Amino acid sequence: MTPEPGEPAAPVGPDAVLRALADPHRRQILRLVLHAELPAGQIAAHFDLTQQAVSQHLTVLKRAGVLAERREGTRRLYSLRSESLQPLRTLLDEFWPDALARLKQSVERDHPRTEKRGPT
Amino acid sequence: MINTSVRIAALPEVVFPYFTDPQLLVTWIGDRADLDARPGGTFALDFSGTAARGSYVAVEPPHRVVFTWGIPEDVAMPPGSSTVEVVFVADGADTIVNLTHRDLPPDREPSHLEGWEGCLGGLITAIRR
Repeated sequence: MTPEPGEPAAPVGPDAVLRALADPHRRQILRLVLHAELPAGQIAAHFDLTQQAVSQHLTVLKRAGVLAERREGTRRLYSLRSESLQPLRTLLDEFWPDALARLKQSVERDHPRTEKRGPT
Repeated sequence: MINTSVRIAALPEVVFPYFTDPQLLVTWIGDRADLDARPGGTFALDFSGTAARGSYVAVEPPHRVVFTWGIPEDVAMPPGSSTVEVVFVADGADTIVNLTHRDLPPDREPSHLEGWEGCLGGLITAIRR
């Protein structure tokens, strides 16, 4: 199956999605296309950026699989691929477990048990 | 709702201050903490680039601590919008730490994308560690 233009060629993991979202302009773009499919020009109109800069942000989002691109005549329309955020759900679920694992390390390092060990 | 627990080889009296003493808190989460561990007192934690803000709701050493949690810059989860409850249960000489994070923004719908955004700062920090 040939991927559509703008579709990621391979499945992308949470790292790529996180990197794509680690920019306020790109997050703002996603908010704009949350409920409506928008052409690039209309997206760019919301920003005080050059068309080229907006285009680069769109490319990063597309490559991360977060944004879908569809051609209609000469226009390119963009929308959110909400399923691409699923890997982040998994990461969020790991946030507190990871923190608690560090807590365990920290406490047990600072307060080692002094019980006597048997001969080995 | 997120619920998770961990067994720690120390008594609850030892583990509890890791949630109320700023110097102990930052040994396992965040970079800088400003804590006033009494009901209504400040819970402020800085990750690199992100601030988690809230206040203590219940402080019952060494059994239970409850604090609110939010990200000031994030309209979807402002300070006070979610609550973390930590219960410390002695098991022999160990402690079972049980943590529940309630009222996070629903995340299964794209319309709550901003909720993700709020958690990302902390997540990124956690990932880079």
